[in-house]
Amino acid sequence: MSIGFNGLGAQFFDGDRPVGQEVSLHIASGMLQVGLDDGDLHRWPVSEVRRVPDMAGKPGAVLRVISDPLARLYIEDLGLLVHLPALTKRAPPKGRGRLLAWAVAAVGAVALQIGVLMPLLADNLAGYIPAKGERALGEATLGHIREALDETGLSPLKICDGSKGIAAMAQMSARLGAEQRFRQDVTVYVLDHDMINAFALPGGFVVLFRGLIEAANGPDEVAAVLAHEIGHVISRDPTRNALRSAGSIGVLGLLLGDFVGGAAVLFMAERLISAQYSQSAESGADAFAHDILAQAGISPGALANMFETMRTKNGDSSGVTAHFLSHPALAERIETARNAVDQSVDYTPSLSEPDWRALRGICS
Amino acid sequence: MTDTHATASPWASPAQAAAGADQTDLRVAFTGKRGPLFWLAFKTGFFTILTVGIYRFWMKTRLRRWYWSAIRPGGHPLEYVGDPIEKLLGFFIAVVILTFYIGIVNLLLMFVSFSVFSASWVGYLASFAGVVPLWFYARYRARRYVLGRTRWRGVRFGLEKGAWGYAVRALWYWALTLLSLGILWPRMTFLLEKYRTDRTFFGSARLTQGGRWPMLYRATLPFVFSLLLLAGAALWVGWIDPVSAQTEAEEVIQFEDVIGMLEKGEFPGTLAAPERLLLFPLALAGLLFGAIYYTWVCKRIMAQHKFSDGIRFASALSGVRVAVIYVIGNFISYLALGIGLAALILGVVFLYWEAALFGDTSHVGQVWSDLPRWLTLLLLGILYLFVFLLWGVLHNTFITFPLMRHLARTTSLPEALGLDHISQRDRDNFAEAEGFAEALDLGAAI
Repeated sequence: MSIGFNGLGAQFFDGDRPVGQEVSLHIASGMLQVGLDDGDLHRWPVSEVRRVPDMAGKPGAVLRVISDPLARLYIEDLGLLVHLPALTKRAPPKGRGRLLAWAVAAVGAVALQIGVLMPLLADNLAGYIPAKGERALGEATLGHIREALDETGLSPLKICDGSKGIAAMAQMSARLGAEQRFRQDVTVYVLDHDMINAFALPGGFVVLFRGLIEAANGPDEVAAVLAHEIGHVISRDPTRNALRSAGSIGVLGLLLGDFVGGAAVLFMAERLISAQYSQSAESGADAFAHDILAQAGISPGALANMFETMRTKNGDSSGVTAHFLSHPALAERIETARNAVDQSVDYTPSLSEPDWRALRGICS
Repeated sequence: MTDTHATASPWASPAQAAAGADQTDLRVAFTGKRGPLFWLAFKTGFFTILTVGIYRFWMKTRLRRWYWSAIRPGGHPLEYVGDPIEKLLGFFIAVVILTFYIGIVNLLLMFVSFSVFSASWVGYLASFAGVVPLWFYARYRARRYVLGRTRWRGVRFGLEKGAWGYAVRALWYWALTLLSLGILWPRMTFLLEKYRTDRTFFGSARLTQGGRWPMLYRATLPFVFSLLLLAGAALWVGWIDPVSAQTEAEEVIQFEDVIGMLEKGEFPGTLAAPERLLLFPLALAGLLFGAIYYTWVCKRIMAQHKFSDGIRFASALSGVRVAVIYVIGNFISYLALGIGLAALILGVVFLYWEAALFGDTSHVGQVWSDLPRWLTLLLLGILYLFVFLLWGVLHNTFITFPLMRHLARTTSLPEALGLDHISQRDRDNFAEAEGFAEALDLGAAI
């Protein structure tokens, strides 16, 4: 049995010439029969007819058949559609293996880039940046970090400048550096922020947060952190990190496209603060700290105390430090610091009581 | 409606082909309505956010399909047959290639920048300059992809290879334009369009861009006039008859001073005819109008000089109308955005306030600050994305839509007999689709 449809207004394009042809439309024995004026008859199996999706505007439908990607049938009589069971059926997946391969390649390329190539390049190049360049790099990143951490949205995070506190801090770093010829001058800043953290930047910048000084039990713990960060400065760890980030930002911007603008910079700031150095870099800085603390006559055990202070005071909150403290090697590092203590030596506190008070008040 | 051929049929009256008489004049209709587009854009935009951006390839495909099918030369819709999967694949390919280029090059540039110049701006500048040729390359490739996936009456469009040639020419014309202080800008506009048009095909028919570049100078008139106005105003107000009535020995009055005086309720009485200062916003608005006018009127002029064997184009596009569309569209988009944001902020404030009724405020503040940093960032991120979504949807509905409609309805083919001699062209297979444009975020949108 055959059903006829209104072919008036319908047009057929054969997929070769942009010239329409009038048609007569029938469905018989599972075939959509498209009859043309010149006598040609196209037979489209009803299960293979698809409707072109997302059409705008007036009623009417555009049909195609999966065996001929080019031919198009423009119809007006929508009564035809109910006889076509597979109008919206998707094409069987094709080339998915290739897609998957490139997806893996893309992820692999980014991973290789961020995980291997850039660290390698950064590590090798870091040693060649002159001191002046390192300084500029550090100043630039400090600016970014201060802006990123600012919560008022108005001005960069304040650098604490209590004059007595600064003098105390200078005294502390002088004592640590007295017998050690550092590769470059160390500049210590205290930022007015609650975070119990500290970080080093290229160019000899060591930054402590007010929160760290407030949390510390005594000046030696601050001195120990300072010594640790100076250790990073000496081995150029921050320079490597900053170079790496410069490359990573480009890649991230590429991946995330227009969804984030300043987020990449924010991310870099976050990364520099949390400074996920390698385990060997950390233990190197620890060893350095033990040495200069001992040379300055301050107990290396203070570093262990500081780690424990951070763990107890801050153990279960704030992301950055929590991550730092959950580092599996921390217990080991505490242990090593304790072992560096020479029981026969009579250690002296790094600051006198009034100076320590001054340091604690550096931000007020 | 300019759809003069519309009979009862949604498609063009087939009788024309036989009669042949009316075939010579082919008009372009536009049939879409805003409502369906709004929901399509909203739905696909929402999925895009849900899938962290992956769905954007489907969003783009579906929006293009919709727009293309609304544009109906001679009553028959254009058809967009691009595949989202191939776009995704193209994006991956582009990421693989670009990640090495951008990552390594950025790192090296930063190194050199800090080592040699002790500053970052050199690196940023060089890194930007390094991407510019890629940008033109990607533009051409994207156009080739879109044309290669566009059909009308079952016949494919196409663009020949030549992306690097395009990038080199674009750089050269830009250099000349900058060196000539913009005087050669129309030459650049024309020659780049000619490069693309002369490589464009519909089926077997090649398009040609006729005309000469000086014909575009008339499109620059509003811009040039506004520029002269600006210069004239600056001269008048600042030099010939200074707005500040002080003697020349005294310092020129500062903008801040004027604001300060106004804030104190004093009228800046020392100013001579300060209403002349209104010339500046007028001139700046004129410059903006001039830029829009230039871009679109150039399209019109060049469309009128495009041809192929037995095919000619005509365009009655109005630069003023386009500018009005931009103004109204942007006004609506930003207004809705502002209202939405304000409602959101009010909502947050209300939440806090309500909580404050039951407990002390410090506690409420603490709840907020006690949220893990990542959660706060996530919430802010989602908020940002929804604002982004809303804006994108409105932009589609109130700018892209009316622009496309105006473009379609003002275009016609006064001579279309050549269509009878056109046959199909081969499919343009190229793997990376518009991946580079996507990865470099050229935002070619539609």
